[in-house]
Amino acid sequence: MGEPSRQQASGLLDRYQPGGAFDEAFDADGAVRGPYRRIVERFRELDIDEVKRLENLVADEFRRQGITFTVYSEEEGTERIWPMDLFPRIIAAAEWDELSRGLSQRVAAMNCFLADLYNGGGQAIADGVVPRWLVVSSQGFERNAVGIRVPHSAHCNIAGIDVVRAADGRYRVLEDNLRSPSGISYVIENRAAMAKACSWLFYDHPVEPTEQYGRMLRSTLESMAPDGRDSPHIVVLTPGIFNSAYFEHAFLARSMGVELVEGRDLVVDDHAVYSRTIEGLVKVDVIYRRIDDDFLDPVAFRPDSTLGVPGLLGALRAGTVTVCNALGNGVVDDKGVYPYVPELIRYYLDEEPIIDNVPTYMMWDPDQRADALARLGELVAKPVGESGGYGVLIGPHATEQELDEARATIEADPRSWIVQELVQLSTVPSLAGDCLEPRHLDLRPFVLTGERTQVFPGGLTRVAMRRGSLIVNSSQGGGSKDTWILAAEAS
Amino acid sequence: MRLGIAYRMYFRYSEPVTESQNEVRVRPLHDEHQQVLSYRLTSRPELQVLPLSDYWGTTVEHLGIRTPHTELELLAEATVETEPRPAPDEAVAAAMLIDPDFQIAHLEFLAPSHHVQWASGDAVERRAASAVAGESAVQGMVRAVVADVRGALAYRQGVTDIGVTLTEVLEGGAGVCQDFAHLATGMLRSAGIPARYVSGYLFAADETAPDAEDSDVVSVQTHAWIEAALPGWGWWALDPTNGGEVGERHVVIGRGRDYGDVPPVRGAFTGSGTAEVDAEVVIGRQDEPQLSPVDGPGPARAEVASPPAPNWRHQQSQQQQ
Repeated sequence: MGEPSRQQASGLLDRYQPGGAFDEAFDADGAVRGPYRRIVERFRELDIDEVKRLENLVADEFRRQGITFTVYSEEEGTERIWPMDLFPRIIAAAEWDELSRGLSQRVAAMNCFLADLYNGGGQAIADGVVPRWLVVSSQGFERNAVGIRVPHSAHCNIAGIDVVRAADGRYRVLEDNLRSPSGISYVIENRAAMAKACSWLFYDHPVEPTEQYGRMLRSTLESMAPDGRDSPHIVVLTPGIFNSAYFEHAFLARSMGVELVEGRDLVVDDHAVYSRTIEGLVKVDVIYRRIDDDFLDPVAFRPDSTLGVPGLLGALRAGTVTVCNALGNGVVDDKGVYPYVPELIRYYLDEEPIIDNVPTYMMWDPDQRADALARLGELVAKPVGESGGYGVLIGPHATEQELDEARATIEADPRSWIVQELVQLSTVPSLAGDCLEPRHLDLRPFVLTGERTQVFPGGLTRVAMRRGSLIVNSSQGGGSKDTWILAAEAS
Repeated sequence: MRLGIAYRMYFRYSEPVTESQNEVRVRPLHDEHQQVLSYRLTSRPELQVLPLSDYWGTTVEHLGIRTPHTELELLAEATVETEPRPAPDEAVAAAMLIDPDFQIAHLEFLAPSHHVQWASGDAVERRAASAVAGESAVQGMVRAVVADVRGALAYRQGVTDIGVTLTEVLEGGAGVCQDFAHLATGMLRSAGIPARYVSGYLFAADETAPDAEDSDVVSVQTHAWIEAALPGWGWWALDPTNGGEVGERHVVIGRGRDYGDVPPVRGAFTGSGTAEVDAEVVIGRQDEPQLSPVDGPGPARAEVASPPAPNWRHQQSQQQQ
C-alpha cells in the first residue's frame, strides 16, 4: 500500500475535544503530546473516505485470516470479526521503561507469594501480610498444588496485567490475570494487519516489533523444563475447537513451532506424560496449558471433565513435567487478594510499588464496607472471582434499585466483593462516524517469567466504542488498537 | 493395641481397559496416638507407586497402567500400634466458639464443602439448632448433634451413594458411616462448631456396635468418623455411626473437609467395559491378618454403572460398600 496523495486537511481531528479524562494524544491545552506528533500529522492529511477504505482493508484482512472473537452473552456464542481502530496507541520509550519495571516488579512479587504459599510454608501468612482466612477461602487456592516443584519458583510464566491511566496521568493496575490470560494473538495480528494495510503510517516511528513473541514464549517455556532438561518437548494444551480462544491456542503453537494438543492426545505412563504421535509415544517436558485447573486431571479434579489428562497431577507431583502457568495461580487473580499486592511487593522485594493499585475497599472490613456502600453510587463493585468485566456494577451508571440490590448482595457475602474508586480511563482519538473522537481505553501488557522475566514490548489496547463508555471488553462491544512502543531514539 | 491391617482393592473389567490412573489414600497416619510399625502397598500387575504427602498431611499414592488389562489388584498392608485418644474433661463454654481468632483458624472446617452443603434455614441447620439448644458447653453440643444424627439415620448399606446431599440423606433417613459423618459434620458446622471428616479403619465386625464382640480377625470396609474442634482444647474425635468414643480400635488414615479430601481410592480408566469393584479390609489383633481368596465372594461387591459421555470411567468406593 503506497502513501495516499496529500490533500487538503480533511478535518478528521478539527473538532477533537478531549473530555475530563487524561487524553493520550493531546494535553489539556489541546497541544499534541510528543509521541503522537507524527501520527496526528499523518491523520490530519487523511480524509474520511481514505480512512474508511483502510478500515475495510484491515477488516478484509481479519476476515481472510479468520481472526474473530466469540460473544457469549448472547443466546449462543456468536463469532464476530475482530474490531480494530486505525489510530494507534503510542507509548514513548521512557514511559514504557517505567511501566515495564513496574510490571516486572509486580509479577515478581506475585510469583514470590505463589511460591511461598505452595512451597514455602506460607511465610507471608505467618508474618501477617495476607490473612490466612482470605487464602483458604479463595476459590483459586488449589490445595493439590502444595508441594509440586516449580522450576525457578516461576509459578506465573505468562501474566496479563490490566493497566489503566487515570485522570492524573499515572498508570494504575486494574486487574491481574495469572491463569490463562488471552489476547496476545490479537496484538500480533493487529500489527500484521496495520503493517499490511498502511505501512506508511509507521514511517519515522521506531516501533518495537511484535513478531518475536513466539520466540520469547518458547524460550520462557524451555527454561521451565524439569531439571533444566535441554531441548525440551513443549506442547500447547487446548480445551479444543469450541473454546473461544482456540484461534489463539493454534496461533501460539504455530508461532512457537510446537504441537497443539488436546487432553486425549496425551497419556500418563509411570508418572510421566507422553504425546501420542505418528512415531509413537514421545515424552513431554513442558505443557503450556490453556485449560483451567479444575479440568486438568479428572482423577484429582472434576471427574466429569473430558478435557484433561488422567494422572497428570501424579506426574506433576513426581516432577517429570511442568505445566505453565502452574496450578493454583487463581488465588492471586482473586480480587480479594488484589488489595494486598502492594504490601506483597514491600514484603518480598523490599521495594516501593512502581505502579499503584486503584484505591480499593475490602468489603469484609466492616468500616470500609459501611463507607463504600454509603457512596456506592460513585464507585465500582466487582465480584472477586470473575474477570472480563462480568458482574461489575458501575455506580454512576446504575439505577437506585440496582444499587440497593448490590448493597444487599454485598452485605450477604462480603468476602465475594471488592469496591473500587471509579477510574476515569484515559482517552485516545478513535474513529467515530466521520471524525476522530476521544474514546476510553486500557492496556493489557504481557509479562513472561521463566529463568528470567521479560516484558513483551506491546500489549492489547482495548477501546470503548461509544462516547463516555468505560466498557472496553471485546465481549461487551469494545474494540482494539495497535499498540506502538517506541524504542529509545539516539538524540 | 497392635493391629494388623490388610486392605485389598480388586477391580475387574468386563472388557480390557487401558490407561487406568489411580490415587490411593489408605496408609495409616503416623501421629502421637498411632504408630505405624510397617506399611507397604503392592499391586498386581506390578506398578510403580509414587507416595507423597498431600495438603492435609495424608499419604497419597499414585499408580497407573497404560496397557490393556482386565483386572487390577491393590493390597495395602500395615501394622499399627494404637493407644486411646484423649477426651476433654473440663467443660468448654459455648461462648468461646465465637472468638474471631478461633473461627479464623478453623475456617476451612466451618464453611460448607463439596459433600457437606447446607443453607440458611434448611433442614440441616434447623435440626442442628434444635439439637444444641440449651447446651451451654461445646461438649454437650457435640454429643447432642451426634445423638441427633443417630436418631435421624438408620444404618443401611446400598441406599446412598457418594454424590448424595445432606438433605437427601436426611430425607432418606438411612445411610452408611460416610453419611453419618457428613451429616454430623454439616450440623456441627452450621451450629458454629468446626468439624472435620476422618477416614480410617475400625477394628470391629459391626461398625455400628464396635464393642459387641471381640473376635481376633474381622473382615470389614474402611470406616469414617468425625472430629470437632473445642476452643482451647483441640480436636475431639467421635464416631457418629455408633455414637461412641474413638479409641484404640480406630486407625486414622487422614482428615479433611469431607470425603472428597480423603477418598481411599479415586481413579479413571479408558475403555468400554463395566467395572466390578471388590474391596475388603481385614483387621486382626497383633497377628498377620488372613486374606480371603481373591475370587471368593466378598462381603461388598458393587456393579459400577457405565457413566455417559466421557471416554474414561471413574472408580471410587464409598467408605462403606
